[in-house]
Amino acid sequence: MLTETLALTVRELKKWIRTPASVFIALFQPLVWIALFGSAFNPTNLIPSSIATPEVMAQIRQSILGQTFGNAPNYITYLTGGILSLLLLFTSAFSGGSLVLDRRFGYLNKLLASPISRASIFLSRVFATVVKGMIPSLIVFFAALSIPDGLKLNPSFTLLDGLLIFLTLFLLSLGFSSLFTAIAMRMTKWESLVAVVNLLNLPLLFSSSALLPVTSMPDWLQAIAKINPISKAADATRTLIVQGSVDLSIIMLNLTYLIAFAAILTIAGGIASIIALRTE
Amino acid sequence: MPQSHILKSYNLYQNALAFGRISMTRVIEVENLTKIYKGNIKAVDDISFDVNEGALFGFLGPNGAGKTTTIKLLTTLASITSGKATVLGHDVSKQPNMVRKSIGIVPQDLTIDNELKGNENIMLAAKLYHVPNHVAKKRVEDLLELVGLTDAANRLVSTYSGGMRKRLELIVGLVHEPKVLFMDEPTLGLDVNTRKIIWDYIRELNKEKRVTIFMTTHYLEEADALCDVAAIIDRGKIRAQGSPQELKEIIGGEVITIELTKERDLQDFFSSIKGVKEVKKLGSTYGIKLGMAEDAIPAIIDGIYARGVKIKALSCSKPSLDQVFLEVTGKEFREEESAEAASRRQDIIARRG
Repeated sequence: MLTETLALTVRELKKWIRTPASVFIALFQPLVWIALFGSAFNPTNLIPSSIATPEVMAQIRQSILGQTFGNAPNYITYLTGGILSLLLLFTSAFSGGSLVLDRRFGYLNKLLASPISRASIFLSRVFATVVKGMIPSLIVFFAALSIPDGLKLNPSFTLLDGLLIFLTLFLLSLGFSSLFTAIAMRMTKWESLVAVVNLLNLPLLFSSSALLPVTSMPDWLQAIAKINPISKAADATRTLIVQGSVDLSIIMLNLTYLIAFAAILTIAGGIASIIALRTE
Repeated sequence: MPQSHILKSYNLYQNALAFGRISMTRVIEVENLTKIYKGNIKAVDDISFDVNEGALFGFLGPNGAGKTTTIKLLTTLASITSGKATVLGHDVSKQPNMVRKSIGIVPQDLTIDNELKGNENIMLAAKLYHVPNHVAKKRVEDLLELVGLTDAANRLVSTYSGGMRKRLELIVGLVHEPKVLFMDEPTLGLDVNTRKIIWDYIRELNKEKRVTIFMTTHYLEEADALCDVAAIIDRGKIRAQGSPQELKEIIGGEVITIELTKERDLQDFFSSIKGVKEVKKLGSTYGIKLGMAEDAIPAIIDGIYARGVKIKALSCSKPSLDQVFLEVTGKEFREEESAEAASRRQDIIARRG
């Protein structure tokens, strides 16, 4: 199963690298989000500056950031964790895309008629998608650091914190890739996939703490946002960025949640896929 | 419904047996195989046949006849409703993985990955079939050379022509050296020249690599040119089976058409010639049905001149599989599809997905 999964994962990645447009868009989109969204929709700027003197205004902004945005030095720093999580959600959403095409072009039948483990068909898409999401997320992380008045790491931020951020994102990506790959397992049309992705993506995004803190939401939405895995990943990432070398126990709950999320969806998605690929 | 003709004598087939290309070992055995898709669509209806080792076996029929479904059943891609099929002694429904390991497939659709290079496509197949790397490399070289793709091996398949893709498709299914190769419409959509080139490669694979080939086709001339044995399938049933030559004998032989310069009654003379089975007269034109036209033509011409009559035109037609198809199914091969047949075909295509 390993040889087969690896061979099929390499196939996916080769195809990805050979389509520079897809790599470029995968990088470009989150950068635009950070640069434009972070500047244009900065919630701390929403308060009309005429209500107080500049000094008071600065204080108000600072206290908003402090109290509502978990002490982030600026909105972009708050936003980065959310954008990284979104980047992985969006790349994962199309993890079943190549499957739909393989089914359509008959490639899937050729795979099914070969003596490979059915799970390798599922796992190869999931793993390839995780790689396709993690590489841009690394680049976006460094890009956010390099833009003026961009991402500001806590001075005590260490390599371990960095690794923990990417572990968090990896788990999120693994879970969502499994979910979306399993959904696409029986699809024959690209259009249906796009419809499902659109149906799920935005609700998942807006019911999370990716863009705005949970405290700004009505109670019913807060209840959803609190169990949304995107919130868990965004919050954990944010904590690591803002607080630096944190006590692991602070993010342990989030990490455990994401480990369970990834494990359950990978196993359930794998089983669902094997059933979906059974001969009729 | 016309009576089905199952032929017992295998002339050409016997030749191939004598040359040792085909052995008496049966590699595919199919008994009363039936496939009913959801919605009670009977795609394959109680068919039985055997394919001997080394044979090039053709499954001939129009679209929607049940050819692709049969291949899907034999290659473990669809489940059997009733009946039994074994490939190399492995039961298709009980030991699917054993079957998968020992067969190669060339599907109807072009399933080569466009965004990979030629050799990458084959190496990927080698990995999926667990062919050790060093063994695979040698085989890939040999196979690429066999179909003349050595120079193009390092190019993305998206730059290949249709014929090149099909050639690559033929060898991708062979890298694990399967004993049996299933080909579904191997020359569908190719131009006449390319089709002939593919035919040559198929013959070569069959002979050089000693691969038993089971192929489907809706081109009568393809079955005629390539196959040792062909089975004519229509609406899920096998209507006739035998070597192309034998199938043509169902028609009862060849036909000489002679137009005389003026009307004369030569009925008795023509009937007296050896091998003549039937004589039809239409004005000054005669249609003579007989076993071998070439042998009888000199005697016919001599006799006509001896009777003081002149020939205006003479033509000779050999039976084609088209006529055989008409004879055994009671309909033209390429006739307009009836609404019922069309919807049946759509159903099958939709079901098999």
